[in-house]
Amino acid sequence: MTALADAPRPRRLRLRPTFTVAVAAIMLAAVFALAILGPLWPGFDPDTQNLFGAKIPPIQDWAHPFGTDPLGRDLFSRLAWASGVSILIALAAVAISACLGLALGLVAGWRGGWLDGLLMGVGNTQLAIPVVLLLIVLVAALGASTVLLVVLLGLTNWVAYGRLTRSLVLTLREQEFIVAAKTAGASDAWIILRHLLPNAVPKVLILAAFDTGVIVTIESSLSFLGLGVQPPVPSLGLMIAEGQRYLQTDPFLTVFPALAIFCLIGGIQFAGQGLAARPPSRGGR
Amino acid sequence: MSAPTPLLSIRDLAIEFATPAGPVTAVRGVDLDLAPGRTVAVVGESGSGKSTMAAAINGLLAANGRIARGSILFEGRDLAQATPAELRAVRGRGIGLVPQDPMSNLNPIQRVGRQIAEALSVHGLMRGAAAWSRAVELLDMVGIPDPGRRAKQYPHELSGGMRQRVLIAMGLACRPRLLIADEPTSALDVTVQKVILDEMAALTAEMGTAVILITHDLALAAERADEALVMFRGDMVERGRAAEVMRSPRAEYTRRLIAAAPTLASRRLVGDAVPAAAADPRPRRDRVLAELVGVRKEYPGRRSLFGREPAFAAVEDMTLEIPRGETVAVVGESGSGKSTTAKLLLRIEDATAGDIVFDGRAVTRLKGRALFDFRRRVQPVFQNPYGSLDARWTVGASIEEPLRIHGLGDAVSRRTKVLDALDAVALPREMLKRLPAELSGGQRQRVAIARALVLEPELVVLDEAVSALDVIVQAQVLELLADLQARLGLSYLFISHDLAVVRQIAHHVHVMRRGRVVESGAPEKIFTSPETDYARELIAAIPGAAPRAAPPAPEQPALRRA
Repeated sequence: MTALADAPRPRRLRLRPTFTVAVAAIMLAAVFALAILGPLWPGFDPDTQNLFGAKIPPIQDWAHPFGTDPLGRDLFSRLAWASGVSILIALAAVAISACLGLALGLVAGWRGGWLDGLLMGVGNTQLAIPVVLLLIVLVAALGASTVLLVVLLGLTNWVAYGRLTRSLVLTLREQEFIVAAKTAGASDAWIILRHLLPNAVPKVLILAAFDTGVIVTIESSLSFLGLGVQPPVPSLGLMIAEGQRYLQTDPFLTVFPALAIFCLIGGIQFAGQGLAARPPSRGGR
Repeated sequence: MSAPTPLLSIRDLAIEFATPAGPVTAVRGVDLDLAPGRTVAVVGESGSGKSTMAAAINGLLAANGRIARGSILFEGRDLAQATPAELRAVRGRGIGLVPQDPMSNLNPIQRVGRQIAEALSVHGLMRGAAAWSRAVELLDMVGIPDPGRRAKQYPHELSGGMRQRVLIAMGLACRPRLLIADEPTSALDVTVQKVILDEMAALTAEMGTAVILITHDLALAAERADEALVMFRGDMVERGRAAEVMRSPRAEYTRRLIAAAPTLASRRLVGDAVPAAAADPRPRRDRVLAELVGVRKEYPGRRSLFGREPAFAAVEDMTLEIPRGETVAVVGESGSGKSTTAKLLLRIEDATAGDIVFDGRAVTRLKGRALFDFRRRVQPVFQNPYGSLDARWTVGASIEEPLRIHGLGDAVSRRTKVLDALDAVALPREMLKRLPAELSGGQRQRVAIARALVLEPELVVLDEAVSALDVIVQAQVLELLADLQARLGLSYLFISHDLAVVRQIAHHVHVMRRGRVVESGAPEKIFTSPETDYARELIAAIPGAAPRAAPPAPEQPALRRA
């Protein structure tokens, strides 16, 4: 609408406190508080086993508010640690994917030609292979470790970022401010780093927010299968795997980590929606 | 008013938008009466509230907008109070809309015939085969040749003019009693514009449809409408018979609008060209800054199933010279190759054949350092004031960018130069820290000019640099350009489709058609005695080109700020 061209506008639009965003904030705050503040609790001890005090239900013993696991380890401590591990793995993997995707997308979109064809060809081929299946094969072949998991998750998920960035670059490169920079003599590096990258980052961040939830899911699934985080380090997926044998008798062993995963994924998803629904900043039409 | 029972009657309409900074009134105090079959033009610059008013009539205000006061009586019913369901029934059926931009208002993945048929079937008028054949009929009515075949095509297969015709067909599909045409031809070439407006007028006359024509072009309004309503920053400043408003405007703003609109009678902003080569004693190298010699630009044909389509020559055998300190204009319709010419001279595109000479040296194949140095001396200003600045950079950073690219000076001296450039384009120094979103179109274009000037170039290539601006702002920017040329001795290559503007600013004019220059000469000569039919056609298509009394405008008001 041209009519509002001169209406005053605030410089930055903040996340509006809609219901979705509020719910997201509560869910995320719960998990992050658990992961960050949990280790500060004086009784924090995720490792000490006590076979005589195994599977104590929650609220029975105040030394173990969430109860203990089948080996008698404090469930609250393990849950806090596992949440932290899952969050860190997801963030690290997403960071790798986003950076890789940004870099390749910028180059492919800006240079075009055969390089574009090659990079997007590789990406599309990768998309055609189911990620979880690919990860299972790779982990089976290379051996399971947390670092490997992070790297593999990062490497297998760049395509979405690459394609998003490339499509942004393709529209930006026709924009007159880019052409103007070119006619002022700007180098490729100048245009990519100073114009294209800053314009692409916000959109990539929104995708990353959504993607973090997906990565938490994949990591949990792999850990559940024993292909991800290795014991004794806990992860939410691993804890569910350990608890499922006792699902009939001691459901709390599964319910707590499942709740944590739910809050983490749901919170990220809702927050992502809140971000994406933000009114677009006025750039062009 | 002429008819006793108006079709549409607006009283004291006010529209507000809720913004984080509090409510903003976009339209206030508009009164309008429109009798069946009549045409009223709503004239104003962007931001004047004219499109907002149209949206309100149609019940299509943005989510944060609301009708704060007043009534919109359409056939006796108040649309300001209508429920969404009632509005839906009126929309399309009772009130048709021809939107502004033919590029974004058609669904790219649906055949155009289906899109028209859809307009019929949503109102339950016709379905299936009947709707389709009516769609074909409508396409025929709006003057699309071979409508049966065209109906099966997708929007990208149609030219801009044809797409606009499709939109008119959609707007008229349900035989509405009122058609709102929101800048229906602003995106089109002048010659196409004339044909389409003629057709729209004939069709609405035949159907007895009343028309609200929203336009920024007062001359067009005077030519096409019975009544005109002039808006300025949300206020209705003048209302009356269109011809009357044009001839004897009462409001100060209308007078300014008329004075600013370039017509073939407008005052020229530059002196006449320096006498021809023969009379000029200076050696050629001192006289001519840049020239294109027999330049050809070919684009490879698209690859199709049966090998490659033949190559397409966007520019063919182009020869022109740009004398120092003068303005050379290239005019023509879209697709005539004028923008390609600009890109060739800017060395964004490489010529297929021929030579580009700058300051006595061929620059056609320059590379690396030499090209970098050449770039410093030739700078562009582009058309779109919204795309020409990086939304994330402040005005100061944008203007400074060329200096930083060329590694000129330190932070302090660069800042001085940026401030000088801001002064040169008459923008306040406080603009330095602003972001493009906070600027108006005219201000952005000034920033783009400042960025072009900061390297102290000798040649500025202006590719439709004022086309997207409102007339008053356009007049200001043109004066600025003429003034800068006089002060700094700049040379301009001025690419435009607007002959009236070209006449004001150019020393030499080249008319291009299909990649070739078909006519060249001094502006006065081309405008008073065009040699080719094409040039005649272009001139005749300018709204208000027909001789009319010059507006009794007072002295050109001092217009310095955008």
